[in-house]
Amino acid sequence: MRTSHERGIAEVTITVESTIKFPYKRSLGPVIGPFMTALAEQRFIAIRSGSRVICPPLEWDPETAAELPRDFVDVGPAGTVCTWSWVSRPTEQHPLDRPFAFALIKLDGADTALTHVVDVESIDQMSTGMRVAPRWRAERLGHITDVEAFVPGEEAITVNGGVPGEPVTMMSYDASITYKIPVSDNTIKAHEATAQGRLVGLKCPVCERIYARDRGFCPIDTVELTDDHEVELPQRGVVTSYTIITPVQYPGQTETEPFSRVMVLIDEIDVVMMYQPLVDVPVEDVRIGMRVAVVWASEAEKADAGRPGNLVGWMPTGEPDNTDPSLANRIM
Amino acid sequence: MNERCAIVGVGQTHFKKRRDDVSIAGLLREAIDRALADAELTLRDIDAVVIGKAPDAFEGIVMPEIFLADAVGATNKPLLRVHTAGSVGGSTLVVGAHHVITGIHGTVLTVAWEKQSEGNAQWGLAGGRSGGIGAGGAFAPWMRAYIQQSGAPDYIGWMVAVKDRRNAAKNPYAHLKMPDITLEKVKESPMLWDPIRFHESCPSSDGACAAIVTNEEGAKRAPRPPAWIHGLSVRSELGQFPGRNPVRPQAGVECAHDVYRQAGITDPRSQIDMAELYVPFSWYEPMWLEGHDIAGPGEGWKMVDTGETDLGGAFPVNPSGGVLSTNAIGASGMVRFAEAAQQVRGLAGEHQVDGVRTALAQAYGGAAQYFAMGVLRNTPPE
Ligand SMILES: [Zn+2]
Repeated sequence: MRTSHERGIAEVTITVESTIKFPYKRSLGPVIGPFMTALAEQRFIAIRSGSRVICPPLEWDPETAAELPRDFVDVGPAGTVCTWSWVSRPTEQHPLDRPFAFALIKLDGADTALTHVVDVESIDQMSTGMRVAPRWRAERLGHITDVEAFVPGEEAITVNGGVPGEPVTMMSYDASITYKIPVSDNTIKAHEATAQGRLVGLKCPVCERIYARDRGFCPIDTVELTDDHEVELPQRGVVTSYTIITPVQYPGQTETEPFSRVMVLIDEIDVVMMYQPLVDVPVEDVRIGMRVAVVWASEAEKADAGRPGNLVGWMPTGEPDNTDPSLANRIM
Repeated sequence: MNERCAIVGVGQTHFKKRRDDVSIAGLLREAIDRALADAELTLRDIDAVVIGKAPDAFEGIVMPEIFLADAVGATNKPLLRVHTAGSVGGSTLVVGAHHVITGIHGTVLTVAWEKQSEGNAQWGLAGGRSGGIGAGGAFAPWMRAYIQQSGAPDYIGWMVAVKDRRNAAKNPYAHLKMPDITLEKVKESPMLWDPIRFHESCPSSDGACAAIVTNEEGAKRAPRPPAWIHGLSVRSELGQFPGRNPVRPQAGVECAHDVYRQAGITDPRSQIDMAELYVPFSWYEPMWLEGHDIAGPGEGWKMVDTGETDLGGAFPVNPSGGVLSTNAIGASGMVRFAEAAQQVRGLAGEHQVDGVRTALAQAYGGAAQYFAMGVLRNTPPE
């Protein structure tokens, strides 16, 4: 089987860009919690580990893994750049919207370095050993970004503001990643077929199993599947199993009411389409043996860019149910 | 080279919906420190560390083993991370034990965890898209197929839920403790993923489990009885292909037969004294009893019906309360091994089964496509 790598990047002409994001909540524990609390108060704290002073503080000795006594000590606010890296083209996820340096900064009184940002106008102003001090943010949440950036000099730039009434114990972490997926020839063909109202698959020449049109290979025989293996599938079948989902609410979830997902065994050939939606069937009417046929999107629905493909789901044909008890064995 | 290998220390956190009182590292250390105390060892005695957890999307930390290295005592030691979805706690222990069995290391710390309150497992499994059906929605049609094929009555699922929640009430580390749960309450709980009701489903938990595996020398030094490993196996298969039977996955059948063969077991139902099986939805108890050939086809649900899998039954399943009562996904597989170990060591406390000599631990994950199983005994292999 040829891999996409062997085929070369040049053949990939279409990509789909996706962004996934989630607001995670991080519990900080008994050491990072106080460190974040101090940040909200425009202070840095470190923890003693034997003769060393560690900042940011750790819960366990990094060498012996012994639990450290909660012996906190104030450090900084100024410090020395130990080493640094220039970010000439910041992205949206970087802390500053202009070129800056990431630096390891050893705060005065600490024996270890903290990673943070140095805000200078050009790379020429950066040097190892330079002295920096924090520029605090006006609205502080008890987060590492309460320090907007470090700037050259000895004096911290403090901003008046109330300290939080409560110790900081939790941290929000809004994760987001954007990535591009190349669209394969088979995926394009799959979309073209559904746009034409055709249900098609790819048949493995070795085991004769039939796969979704966009699968591209038989994982059993490791055979590549191409246009030559396309087979037309009947657009009717029978429900072999199902579930009714009560949607769990999470960020990005738009379903609010219970919905069904059914396994459909296609007529005449040996293919099960899994977790298919039903159209206009009340959830209490869903049953094994129900005869169903494909529902394609209307022209109006096709215009709805959000719909992946044009197969909307399946609808009862009105034929009598299939009562074969062995249907329950066919869920894949 | 095949060294004898035993579990000499196990530790679990208290499992809860949220463990906001600790950091992730603190959660792991709670389990690790209990396992070390059980074995009367320190991190200096550990030669290597193996960490397991389920998808990184659950907490949003990519490769968490890197930032956890010093907290788990892996500084300047081999550190491996294992990922086999929900079965990962089991395969983590297997990977650790293999390092002992092959003679590479003398004593290995294995630890598995999940802190589900930091994220949302449904979101993680849906890849951030709407309409996620979750593990319950994915497994529900398979459970319906089992019910159809076996002719099991509805109340079997309710019985498993009642048994496991009552067992959990005897387990100090369990998340859901419901000593007063009844069949009626399970039956009347909301339908989540038909045919699975709310009380037939596992909770989302925060927690960790650690187990220390060691060679024969280490086992001889152990202050408490060791749980000797007589068989370990992992198997996997494709989650989806035409004609696959996910109700009785072939990988699960072969994994079971492999551990039985290693342990010299020819009739699991009579030669095994108890089992900790990965049952996140109640119907998986009869499904795995049949899927691992402990019961014949269509016989698994009858073992439930007759009370054979009760704490006082002939083949107790999940006396700890199981995954149905506690599910910090990454940890759950290791909890099965840890609880099976405590049973053969005679240290299970209030949920101890009388006279356990041979115990079975099992974990599964993904689309019921990853399996990790072990047979533990109170006596060393010959
Ligand atoms: Zn094939």
